[in-house]
Amino acid sequence: MASQDPFDCALDLLRRLNPKHTGDHLSNIISLHPDLAEELLSSVDQPLTVQRCKQTGRDYLLCDYNRDGDSYRSPWSNQFDPPLDEAGAGGVGAGGSNEGAGEGAVPGERVRKMEIKANEAFDVYRELYYEGGGGSVYFWNLDDGFAGVVLLKKASPQGDATTSGVWDSIHVFEASERGRTSNYRLTSTVILTLATKGASLGEVDLSGNMTRQVEQDLPVDSDESHIANIGRLVEDMELKMRNLLQEVYFGKAKDVVGDLRSIGSLSQGQKDRETQRELIGSMRR
Amino acid sequence: MSSNTAIISSFVEGAPPGELANVIEGMSFLLHSSLATADIKAITGPDPNLIKNLSPAFQKYNEEQFITAKLPGGSSQVIISEFSALGEGRYFDSESQSSFEFDHSTGKAANVQSHVLEGEQASLVKSTLNTVGTYVKEHYPNAAYGAYPIENDTKVAVVIVANKYSPHNFWNGRWRSFYIYDPSSNSLEGSIKVDVHYYEDGNVRLLTDKKVNASVSAGRSADGIAREISTAEKKYQEDLNRSFTQLSEGAFKALRRQLPVTRQKIEWDKVASYRLGQDIGGGSVRR
Repeated sequence: MASQDPFDCALDLLRRLNPKHTGDHLSNIISLHPDLAEELLSSVDQPLTVQRCKQTGRDYLLCDYNRDGDSYRSPWSNQFDPPLDEAGAGGVGAGGSNEGAGEGAVPGERVRKMEIKANEAFDVYRELYYEGGGGSVYFWNLDDGFAGVVLLKKASPQGDATTSGVWDSIHVFEASERGRTSNYRLTSTVILTLATKGASLGEVDLSGNMTRQVEQDLPVDSDESHIANIGRLVEDMELKMRNLLQEVYFGKAKDVVGDLRSIGSLSQGQKDRETQRELIGSMRR
Repeated sequence: MSSNTAIISSFVEGAPPGELANVIEGMSFLLHSSLATADIKAITGPDPNLIKNLSPAFQKYNEEQFITAKLPGGSSQVIISEFSALGEGRYFDSESQSSFEFDHSTGKAANVQSHVLEGEQASLVKSTLNTVGTYVKEHYPNAAYGAYPIENDTKVAVVIVANKYSPHNFWNGRWRSFYIYDPSSNSLEGSIKVDVHYYEDGNVRLLTDKKVNASVSAGRSADGIAREISTAEKKYQEDLNRSFTQLSEGAFKALRRQLPVTRQKIEWDKVASYRLGQDIGGGSVRR
């Protein structure tokens, strides 16, 4: 632990402190170590915020990848809100590069077309899996391909006074185009907050986030097949992560509580095990 | 420096079970590397001033989390809590009838002295240690417990704390409960808190808080205290287990389905046609 760099150190702290308040911890760490601000803000995932598109009236999700200064680009209108001072819209030409997005990043013509298609496709995906909530997809150009982020958010209905839940999915990918195949690298984070309370239960809070990565080469014969490839990658990843979250949030947490305290009597359990051993022993004889 | 101390104190307060040392190490490194970039001579090792400034935070953490220590030469665990505090960094343990000095930054106990309980609650404390001890051994594979006369020897506090640390498997857990018995009203009031941290490629935390209110049958205090604690903790653990199932089957399922209603994954090559009126999910798709 002694020879580490401050960035890894900050990430290690964020992995330990209460994940429900990652935003507060992040700003505290930045005030201790201001040099880390940019790197941390662009790599630590936080719950997504929603904004309404002025042009279309549809909600979209905000992240670092559709941000330019204090403005955010709507995937529905391709316009920044508030509008950028300089003529940022129009972006780079087809095949041009705006690596890293941010700073007025508007995808080139071809990549924007894919972005529109991806938003339509993930809208279907969202309805089928989330049956509500909101989503946004943002693409940007890379030198050897393109990259993007698929965002999905769903909160449980406000009306329930005893139980609440929020799910945020953040899937960041890079697609490197190599002729008939493309190499996809996907990093997915799910932030899941659940809380429940009751007279006999008291308060229970289960909050956290998990991140997983996958890399795959897949055949590509058109821009549509890019969308299908990304769709399958994200769908498989979310299925895997949903199962993992279920296991950790409800299985592992319960097991650890059971390791701390046994509902049944320990001496009775011990007696039962001895009786069983004797029984098995006598059957072998 | 004072605002830094406030920030770091808040980090200390939020340290997960068994991970205080990791949190301190991380923060010291961050702070020192930050000072170093500001062209101040880099310091190695924890800054003595920082540790000194943090001692109120350490004390608060240790007392609230019921941190345990071993007395020099002893084998059983003694508990740090507001109930066992004597002031000036000293605490006492009823079982061994001793008091000791506790270093909040190193977690070490020292300078043990005899501390004989002889007030009004002394015999109730002793018999409660027995009855609660029997209960704890039946339900906790590894826990420390204590009973203490409090509030000018008018009441008795009972503390139970169980830790299980498994850093190699990226999880740690703590169960802590305390109860205050008031002999004048036979009431038993307290709380149970569970804290579980899982951090393999992520950070997941279970934090619970349950208030307990019970009353002990008059005339059989020590037995009654242990019985009420046993009943409340059993019921709580069953309620908590049920809440995991309810959250999993309820809120979690409602946020995201495992598969679409059709029980089939999406046909991505045809996803564009899903919109054109094709009946998916039993026609539940809007727009």
